[in-house]
Amino acid sequence: MLNSLHVEGRTLLHRLPAGPKLALLAAVSLALFFVQSLPILALSLAVTGLLYGSLGLSAGEALKRIRPVLITILLFALVNLVLISATEALTTTLRLLSVLLLAASVTATTTIAAFMDVLTKLFLPLERLGLLKAADISLAVGLVLRFVPEIAARYEGLKEAHRARGLPVRLSRILGPLIISTLKDADSIAQAIDARGIRGQ
Amino acid sequence: MHILFDQADLRYGERIALHPLSLELTDRRIGVIGLNGSGKTSFARLVNGLAKPSHGRVTLDGLDTVTDEKAVMAATGFIFQNPGNQIILPIIRDDIALGPKSRGLKGEALDQAVDTVLTRFGIADLASRRPHELSGGQLQLAALAAVVVTEPKLILFDEPTNQLDLKNRALVKAAIDSLSEQAIVISHDLDLVRDFGRVLVFHEGRLAFDGAGEVAIARYLEIAAC
Repeated sequence: MLNSLHVEGRTLLHRLPAGPKLALLAAVSLALFFVQSLPILALSLAVTGLLYGSLGLSAGEALKRIRPVLITILLFALVNLVLISATEALTTTLRLLSVLLLAASVTATTTIAAFMDVLTKLFLPLERLGLLKAADISLAVGLVLRFVPEIAARYEGLKEAHRARGLPVRLSRILGPLIISTLKDADSIAQAIDARGIRGQ
Repeated sequence: MHILFDQADLRYGERIALHPLSLELTDRRIGVIGLNGSGKTSFARLVNGLAKPSHGRVTLDGLDTVTDEKAVMAATGFIFQNPGNQIILPIIRDDIALGPKSRGLKGEALDQAVDTVLTRFGIADLASRRPHELSGGQLQLAALAAVVVTEPKLILFDEPTNQLDLKNRALVKAAIDSLSEQAIVISHDLDLVRDFGRVLVFHEGRLAFDGAGEVAIARYLEIAAC
C-alpha cells in the first residue's frame, strides 16, 4: 500500500509532482500493451529496473515490496508457456514486469497526501457538475489505507482471544464481532471527521 | 469562550442522557467528573455541537450549536477517548495537515503550521510514523496536535488519560497544562482536574456539583461511595 511503501528520498522521481508521475505510469502502461517487439520490451524492463534500483532500497527490501505481484506474474508466465508460444509468453511477461517496476517506483516516491491531492483534482469536474465532493473521494481512499491494517490487527486480536479461551478459530465465529466492532469504530471515526471540520468546508 | 447552557437537555427516545441544564462557563480550565453513564460525554458533545439539544439551547460566544454548527465546530476541537480513531490518515504529518488544508492553507504556510505544532508537542520525530507504531501517549499528542493546528478557541478532552501508563499520562497532563486555549477535560483521572478552578460533577444525567477541584472531587467520592 502507498502509505507503507513510500520511501523518503531526493531522486528525480521523488521531485516530480505526483500528477505527472501517475499520468506517466498510466501512459507507459497503456503504451506497453501495444508493443510487440522483444528488444524494446527488454529495454523497457532494463530502464524500469534501473529506475527502481536507483531509489536506494536494499536488494532485500526492493524484492520484498514487489514479491506478491512478482510471484503472480511468474505463475502467469508458467501458465502462458503451456497455453501459448514461448515468444508470446516472454512478451507478456516482459511487459508486466516493466509495468510492475514502474508502478513500484512511482509508489515508493509518492506520498499518500500527494496521491490524495491528485485524486481530488481528477474528480473536480464531477464536483462542478454537482455529482460528488472531490475531497470526499480522496478522503475515502486515505481512510482505507489508514484503517485496513487496523482491521487486520483486530482480526488477529479476535483470533488470539478465541485461542486463549480454548475455542477453535473459525472465520464464521470471528466475522460477527469483527464487523460489529468495525462499525462501532466507523461511527466514532465519522464523528471525529465532523469534529475536526475536515468535510464540508 | 463564553459557554451558555439554557435549559438544554439531551434525550434518546425515552432515555434522558442529560436533564435540562442551565449553566455559564468562562473559565480557562473546566473539569468534568462523574460515574460511567452520568452524562459527562453527553455534556461535552452538546458543547461542540456533535449532539444537538433535544430542548433548550447551547451557545458559544453567542453562536448557537444548532444554527451555527460549522462556526461552532471551527471554534472547538475535540479529543476523543480513542485517539486512534481520530487520526484518519496513515502518516502523522499528513493527518495533522489535513485540517488546515481543508480550510485552504497550502504550500509553505501549511508546512510551517504543521512543523510548529509538531515541535510544540515534542513529536517532530514522529512526523513520518504511522499511527499503529505509536504508544498511547504519542497517539494522544498527535491527535492533540491535529486539533491545535486548526487554532480552536476551546478544546474538549474526553478521558484523555484513559488506558495510559504513568509515563504517557504525565506526557498528556503536561501537554494539557501547557495549552493556552480554553479546555474542558472529562476524566476519571481525578489528579488531572484537581488543580482546576472549576469542576462539574455529573450524576445520573444531572449536574450534582459545580465548584473548585478539591471540593468537587470530595463530593464525587461521596457520590461514588453510595
